[in-house]
Amino acid sequence: MNSTAPPPAEQTCATATSGHYRVIERRSFGPYALLTLLAPDIAALAAPGQFVMVALPGTQFRLRRPLSLHSVGGERVRLLVEPRGEGTRELVELGVADTLAVAGPLGHGFPLERVRAALLVAGGIGVAPFQFVADVLRARGVPVTATFGFRDEGQARLAGAFEIDHLWVATDDGSVGRHGTAVELAREVGAGPQASVLACGPAPLLDAVRTWASTAGLSGYASLEAHMACGSGACHGCVVPTREGYLRVCVDGPVFALDLLGSGASTDASAPGAGLAPDGAKPQAAQ
Amino acid sequence: MTQPGAPVPDLAVTLAGLRLEHPVLNASGTFDALETARHYGPEALAPFPFSAYVPKTVTLERRDGNPPPRLTETAAGMINAVGLQNPGIEAYLDDLPLLAFVPVPVLVNIGGRRPGDYLEVLRRVEERLAAGAAGSPQVAGYELNVSCPNVGRGGLAVGTEPGETEKLTAAARALTKRLLIVKLTPNVTDVVAVARAAAEAGADALSLVNTVRALVLDPQTLTPFLGNRTGGLSGPAIKPVALRMVWEVAGALDAPIIGMGGIACGRDVLEFVACGATAVAVGAANFSGPDAPRRIVAELRAELVGRGLPDLAAVRGRALV
Repeated sequence: MNSTAPPPAEQTCATATSGHYRVIERRSFGPYALLTLLAPDIAALAAPGQFVMVALPGTQFRLRRPLSLHSVGGERVRLLVEPRGEGTRELVELGVADTLAVAGPLGHGFPLERVRAALLVAGGIGVAPFQFVADVLRARGVPVTATFGFRDEGQARLAGAFEIDHLWVATDDGSVGRHGTAVELAREVGAGPQASVLACGPAPLLDAVRTWASTAGLSGYASLEAHMACGSGACHGCVVPTREGYLRVCVDGPVFALDLLGSGASTDASAPGAGLAPDGAKPQAAQ
Repeated sequence: MTQPGAPVPDLAVTLAGLRLEHPVLNASGTFDALETARHYGPEALAPFPFSAYVPKTVTLERRDGNPPPRLTETAAGMINAVGLQNPGIEAYLDDLPLLAFVPVPVLVNIGGRRPGDYLEVLRRVEERLAAGAAGSPQVAGYELNVSCPNVGRGGLAVGTEPGETEKLTAAARALTKRLLIVKLTPNVTDVVAVARAAAEAGADALSLVNTVRALVLDPQTLTPFLGNRTGGLSGPAIKPVALRMVWEVAGALDAPIIGMGGIACGRDVLEFVACGATAVAVGAANFSGPDAPRRIVAELRAELVGRGLPDLAAVRGRALV
């Protein structure tokens, strides 16, 4: 009974839909898969930073996996999937013509209306939502700079799933791009004092982004991840601590203003985008 | 097999005088009518997927709930330790008119830290309803959650002791003429003793079962994964436990039972009914997709057709041998 949304009577149309959608293209980037679904109704409603709940194939009981929308074009939506546990491995192995039960788009995305310049800072599978963000900003003529950080060469294959004009890459082991983290890279590259910082990644990255942005006087937003069950506000299972108390990642987020996330606010949220770890494993930090 | 022109089976049930179009309710905290309408549009709830609506547990005071992480998947199920996060009874009552669009009976689920908290919540709901608030939903009754495993020394303590259960139920009975349901925990040695205490103190029906207290470790650190450390197990993993308890209670008492615990398909419903349940509730399966309750009701109808059964009464209690 959160009162931030209008009651049903005042709402004339749905913000999300659910149905079965066909995989019409699949591209591999190392162990990662970029799935394109023909999903016109989801595509029509989607905004950058939103996510969908994806049911795993098969009939046994499993929680659906929350996945960021990597990009949206025409009637198509793309999902970038990391094989993190059993469930996401099954998604990665899907092929063209397979169908998926998907509900979405869900959550509040990145508020981009007032962004004059954007610095996208992401780590690991946290890069997932940023093609959509970059596409929308580019269409509006807003300059976009992205700094992506990865663990190693294998994880850096994710960068291949992106077409962003100013995309910089760092790896923890220096095997690809700059030796260091996405935040160190962002600090060096910069995007001017007007830039909004838009971040997504494991907890240490988000903590570093928050500290840096506040020191540099930059405002911005972070997309968080949590283990989810309902994806639409019912179960209160996906909360994160914020300055306003526990907020639900699924409906109050997944995107939150950086200054709403207090110290440690993101410690239970890890690399966004890939969904919860299906076998109880905490997502690995990429930084 | 279905004969052409065979009568469509009747799924309607009567739960302690409350007529329900079919036996499938939602388990508290697993489905939110308002959020569903906000996201998927009011048409997603037409027809309403459940025959009665049980909102998330409300407590006297606002509760922030447990620290995250609060849930994760397990083998054939899930574990949660949300800790009854809710805005408290006053905010709940202020929002109650928003549920006026719900076309089925509403059962207010109440939790508490002390027996007096439950009674105060119940009293305030009755008071608000007696004031004849325009646009109120049809509150048909209450489900007392004396069995949440995730609120420390709260409801679980009441629900594990027959004497405490009896006192609370009797006091609640004195406050309302509406349907009074007591939701029992499986985390007891003798569920029949607690069930009997509730029934004899005036409960109209019993919900069986809440989640099973359980523990999941973080595989890397080998320490408890949930912020609350322990949590409640639900989903198909607990169905045999729930069936056994429904079967035991139905074998010992006449009180109507709402069976729950891992129901994921139509045949699961039939099994609970065969063990003596009058109605059932779907919980974790709601998290596998918004179409779960409708699918389960359709499968139940098909089960009856396939077995040549006219209604659920034809199979109720069949396992009580």
